[in-house]
Amino acid sequence: MLITGLGVISAAGNTVAETLDSFRSGKRNAGPVSLFPTNLSSPAFEVRNFPATYAAKGQRTLGLALCAVDQALADAGLDDLSGYRVGVCMGTTVASQLNNLQFYAGYREHGSAPMTAVDQFLKGNLSEYLSRRLKARGPSLSIVNACSSGTDAIGVALSWLKSGLCDIAIAGGADELNHVPYSGFASLGIANPGLCTPFDRDRKGLNLGEGAGVLVIETRAAVQKRGKKPDLTLNGYGSSSDAYHLTAPSPEGVGLRAALQSALEEAGIGPDEVGFVNAHGTGTHDNDLVEGTVLADVFGPDLKMLSTKGYTGHTLGAAGGIEAVFTAAGLRAGWVPASAGFQNKDEAIGISPLRHTTAITGRFALSTSLAFGGNNAAIVIGRERDA
Amino acid sequence: MKIAGIGMICSRGLGIAAFENALESGWQKPGDTAARWLGGRNAPAYLVDLNTVPDRRLLKKVRRSDHLSKMAVLAAADALADGGMGDVVPNKLGVIVASAFGPHVTTFDFLDDFLDHGDTAVSPTTFSNSVHIAPASYISMSMNIKGPTLSVTQFRFSFQAALQLAKTWLDQRRCDHVLLGAVEQYGDVLGYVMDHKLTSAADGKIKPFAFKPTCQVPGEGSVFFLLSNGNAGSAYGFVNAVHVNDDPDSGKTVDLDIIDADGMLPDESAYLGSLSPDTPATAYSPLFGSMMIGGAFNMAAGALMLKRQRSYAAPVQDNPHGIRLLSETGNRRMESIRCTGYDCYAERTSIYVSRE
Repeated sequence: MLITGLGVISAAGNTVAETLDSFRSGKRNAGPVSLFPTNLSSPAFEVRNFPATYAAKGQRTLGLALCAVDQALADAGLDDLSGYRVGVCMGTTVASQLNNLQFYAGYREHGSAPMTAVDQFLKGNLSEYLSRRLKARGPSLSIVNACSSGTDAIGVALSWLKSGLCDIAIAGGADELNHVPYSGFASLGIANPGLCTPFDRDRKGLNLGEGAGVLVIETRAAVQKRGKKPDLTLNGYGSSSDAYHLTAPSPEGVGLRAALQSALEEAGIGPDEVGFVNAHGTGTHDNDLVEGTVLADVFGPDLKMLSTKGYTGHTLGAAGGIEAVFTAAGLRAGWVPASAGFQNKDEAIGISPLRHTTAITGRFALSTSLAFGGNNAAIVIGRERDA
Repeated sequence: MKIAGIGMICSRGLGIAAFENALESGWQKPGDTAARWLGGRNAPAYLVDLNTVPDRRLLKKVRRSDHLSKMAVLAAADALADGGMGDVVPNKLGVIVASAFGPHVTTFDFLDDFLDHGDTAVSPTTFSNSVHIAPASYISMSMNIKGPTLSVTQFRFSFQAALQLAKTWLDQRRCDHVLLGAVEQYGDVLGYVMDHKLTSAADGKIKPFAFKPTCQVPGEGSVFFLLSNGNAGSAYGFVNAVHVNDDPDSGKTVDLDIIDADGMLPDESAYLGSLSPDTPATAYSPLFGSMMIGGAFNMAAGALMLKRQRSYAAPVQDNPHGIRLLSETGNRRMESIRCTGYDCYAERTSIYVSRE
């Protein structure tokens, strides 16, 4: 399948071009939370200068998603979707839950509350909202697989396209910075009081972020019909469960190994053909230890590997979508940024992420996601042979 | 895609046998529930009592989970056992869990923490269980399933969209088997929202063929299907097609139409147009309650009927529009069944299940 459009918005930038500028400069746009009052102090990666046209009250996640979708469709040159079967598959965590504090506080106190928040929630299923907005008549599904949602959504879209359920798929993830998960992650003791340092020996946890990342993926037949010559491909997806713990990864990385193997198998490539891996790399002790160790085992210690969460924070359901866009953009640009925040090698991991902006060779790259609940997902993105 | 096993839990008990008993015996008045918004009154709801589950071993394994996850785990294990895979979990078994509202009760428990103690003193356990993926994770953990594990939500079509995905996974050999299920939990806030937005049936009786006005009675429960590739040895028949929006098979003749009408829409008249005077119709929501995932229960009823070659009368037969209702329970030759659902945008899903 061919990737014809990229769209992204995060603290690293409100477009792909802005993001690449941040990557080049090593700029990390984190700061104190401004979106809600909190007694917690972990810095967050908020989207700045969010375009007013997308800032729908009470529905920030939808606005972020729509912003990325519009970019991706423009990049794909798709201003008219009529005549195509278009599927929409988006991952999220926040948009799937009715966790409006004001509404619930009102209900708790009075036994009743205005329905505004409920109405927004009921109209805010991410994929349904986008499908309706785009008048897409293909399959529509919101993936709520915690932190791997975005990657899984892209994998689901790949399955749809392969099965002929749609000609074009819009897939990725979106999540706003929300008070509930912000305090939830703090309660788990994994929120970093400073800036996150993925894979670093002295890492102290994650920072939350927000944003959206979207790919437009098309069958070769649909692309040819439009006379386009895209340069990127979506080659494989793998997903596997640890069956181990609700919040901790399997120490042996059982599920991640299986997910990587499945993704490589579907892509029909071996580990030596992978130019780089955009790792999940949250900056928590357990995630980075397991993920780094597995990546070193599967791809060898010389693998070019990075985490982009040092630029975006952990954007939860959006992460897989955002990082897929970064991976694709890296393949297209021929370079990837330094893994922000990394300074000291963790000898227990056996592999270090990139310290500097690095030119990459090779046609293929992977993006990985490890989720709450023990799910692991990986996608393989490639460059067209003659691109 | 064959249906190799079915597991479920609803207000009528755990297991396909309990559901079969419910289909045989028909409608029963549901229990009552109290809630703050009811101001001291009670309201009917079809709720699951986990205290009646005789075998506590699985519940002990997932004792830290919430009610939603427990229902899902029980139904999933039941489906595996029903499909003859209770002891040995096969390789390449995937899990897909569909839910419209997910762990909303635990989410509100978490918000209680938040409101009572502030954002610095919330419970990590409650937070972990409030994440949508929790039921699927407990299923994988308790049954040692290491295939792809996915949680999805699409409100009214959560189950149907998940079923469509399961078919692609099997067709593309991503999995040899998929444990596909739907789960929904009742909670006070959801009850309040449903009562506020819809008409509640004070007598506890959903009238699926009234269409307008409609009345709902909240339900909860979980259904799982063990789905597999291959054409042989199906216990319950085959899912031949799942259509969302456009249905290219709409002209096909089937032996029975099952509709998902359950009072979750204020106007369910769209179903009228989907029914044929030549085909008997039924709906089983009065047995398990109003739920956005009710289509999963209806598909289970359809699959069971194909297996037994026995039709179960519509449990509530109020019929102001003169629909050709399935009015009697008895043995009946059936080859194919269509399950139809509509959402609030009048979009339609159709699931075609056949014996062969």
